[in-house]
Amino acid sequence: MRYGGKMMMSLGLIGVAAWVVVTALKWPLRTAVFPVTIGILVFFITIGELFLGLFEGEEATEKKPGGEKVSLERVDQPLPTRKMLWASAWAMGFFLLILLIGFPISIPLFTFLYLRLHGKERWGISLGLSASAFGCFYGLFVWLLHIPFPDGWLQRGLRVLGIV
Amino acid sequence: MFNSFIDGLLLIFQLKPFVFMLVGAAIGFWVGILPGLGGGTTLALMLPFVYKMTPAEAFPFLLGMHSVCATTGDITSILFGIPGESVAVALIVDGFPMAKKGEAGRALGAALMSSLVGALIGAAALTLAIPVVRPLVLAFGSPEMFMVIIIGLTCISSLSGQGKRGSLLGLMAGGFGFMCSLVGQDPYAGIHRYTFGLVYLWGGIPLVPVMIGIYAIPEIIELIVRGTAIAGEAPAENLGRGVMEGVRDTFRHFWLTVRCSIVGALVGMLPGIGGGVAQWIAYAQATHSAGSREERTGFGHGDIRGVLGPGAANNSKEGGALIPTVAFGIPAGPGMAILLGAFLIMGIVPGPDMLTKHLTLTFSMVWTIVVANIIVVTICLLFINRIARLTRVRGNLIVPFLFFLCFIGAFTTNNNMNDLIVLLIFGGIGVLMARFGWPRPPFALGYILGRIAEFYLSVSVSRYGGSWLLRKGTILLFLIAVGVAFYPFLKERILRTKEAGT
Repeated sequence: MRYGGKMMMSLGLIGVAAWVVVTALKWPLRTAVFPVTIGILVFFITIGELFLGLFEGEEATEKKPGGEKVSLERVDQPLPTRKMLWASAWAMGFFLLILLIGFPISIPLFTFLYLRLHGKERWGISLGLSASAFGCFYGLFVWLLHIPFPDGWLQRGLRVLGIV
Repeated sequence: MFNSFIDGLLLIFQLKPFVFMLVGAAIGFWVGILPGLGGGTTLALMLPFVYKMTPAEAFPFLLGMHSVCATTGDITSILFGIPGESVAVALIVDGFPMAKKGEAGRALGAALMSSLVGALIGAAALTLAIPVVRPLVLAFGSPEMFMVIIIGLTCISSLSGQGKRGSLLGLMAGGFGFMCSLVGQDPYAGIHRYTFGLVYLWGGIPLVPVMIGIYAIPEIIELIVRGTAIAGEAPAENLGRGVMEGVRDTFRHFWLTVRCSIVGALVGMLPGIGGGVAQWIAYAQATHSAGSREERTGFGHGDIRGVLGPGAANNSKEGGALIPTVAFGIPAGPGMAILLGAFLIMGIVPGPDMLTKHLTLTFSMVWTIVVANIIVVTICLLFINRIARLTRVRGNLIVPFLFFLCFIGAFTTNNNMNDLIVLLIFGGIGVLMARFGWPRPPFALGYILGRIAEFYLSVSVSRYGGSWLLRKGTILLFLIAVGVAFYPFLKERILRTKEAGT
């Protein structure tokens, strides 16, 4: 059997289920009854799935009367890992920008950086779309809905230092 | 009663109430499209504006807004795979794959038309329930509620893949969702479970960031990696002509749409359960309509019936949810709780008076749901082809806006930065689930139902001890749950026998 990601995920779930049960054992019966029941069920179901995986392979299959194995799932082509990690890094980058400089600045900045660096779009399109992202954000969420957005760490730091 | 029914209709067609309903519907339209901001939040935001209104103006305004939110929430779910409303998650399962195949117009047409049918059936349920509502709602105590949730949980078997491993993966994903729902204070003694000492987690992991993370983030990541438009290389001609096809699909599968609408109205009627459950039971209903095992594998990859079922249930539940709110003052969900606030602002006490003294006002609510939905769906159908073209815009141009919608959607749930961390964590889990073929709908169902199930079980045990298991309603619902759990296996067996015979 291939020690693939699917197996690692199952092992991870077994670990989480075990932790859920062990942690719950310290609590009073009524508090613990749900976590223990669910944790034990998930633990054994996942072990069962792992064993089935050992004998059947990675994909859910079924034997036809002639002995031929047929797939029971429509499996999409997996995405290349390196590209997925890069794409995930953009999500993480946006989050860090929000933490650092807050929503109002990070939204147009992220839009611009993504369009220029990843999309290789022209300056005009990048600037125009960044401005419209800011317009949407400000018009809808700040001006119309009055949603309070916290400052970023940078602004708060500058305020503490008395610079702003 | 008939006079009140007609007077209710005439009431909303008076100038001021009608204008307020249109304003409410317009606000609901845009809020529904935005992820994170649900009907409940909008009602809360708009509540201060009703102080100077009369009841005849305030309720068309608020209900017009609330009922339309559920309809337009479907648009974001289908076009971008981002749930516009937490009750529109099930629509993503088949709606977004249709958008990726270049059939966004057809999916939107079907979602909107089934929403309209659902809204009409929900309003009809409200009308029909008015004379008989009391025994119906009072028959449901906490043990029966718990059993309804168990019926919802048994739908995991319908939402999982086929075969032994498919079922096991579904149960694992559902169990994982259930475990995530255990985070926070327990309903018995208020003991903090799995909170890591964080105050933020005392109330549990918030629903909206989890759902956006599990469903939307993996789709955006895929879009970045593919580097194409959402509709990819799908032929452009499908896009323009699909809307009417989607409308026709609703009538082609009319019985399914009606069935799911009835499910939505019945589940919506039960306080504390709501649309989160109704949409998945309706989706499970839709999967049961598959005529062969090959057809069944099409669900999750863009089957139109997977759009029609949840679309209908999402809207019919609004009519159902009004029943206990109006008749007993028991809100069926957060949105209805805020609407209850509007009742009190207006000096109206929900209860028997709503079915006698204020019957015309009650019927005007029914008509508001009907008329607001007809207007919005008609307008949407006229312009939806243009909206569907967004799926052909280059991915690079649309990705920053999708991230923006996801992050803002997650943040506006509680206005808490921790929601963004939850979004990223569950986004990562969603990416892994999508990559390794774990079904995501059972996770959503387990997560949504876990907390409510434990709550109702705790109330049942505290109130009735062990005797709650022997109540007639509980036994009947348990038998239904067993039937629902085994139906997919039975159906698979029948289909296999049929296939072997041909």
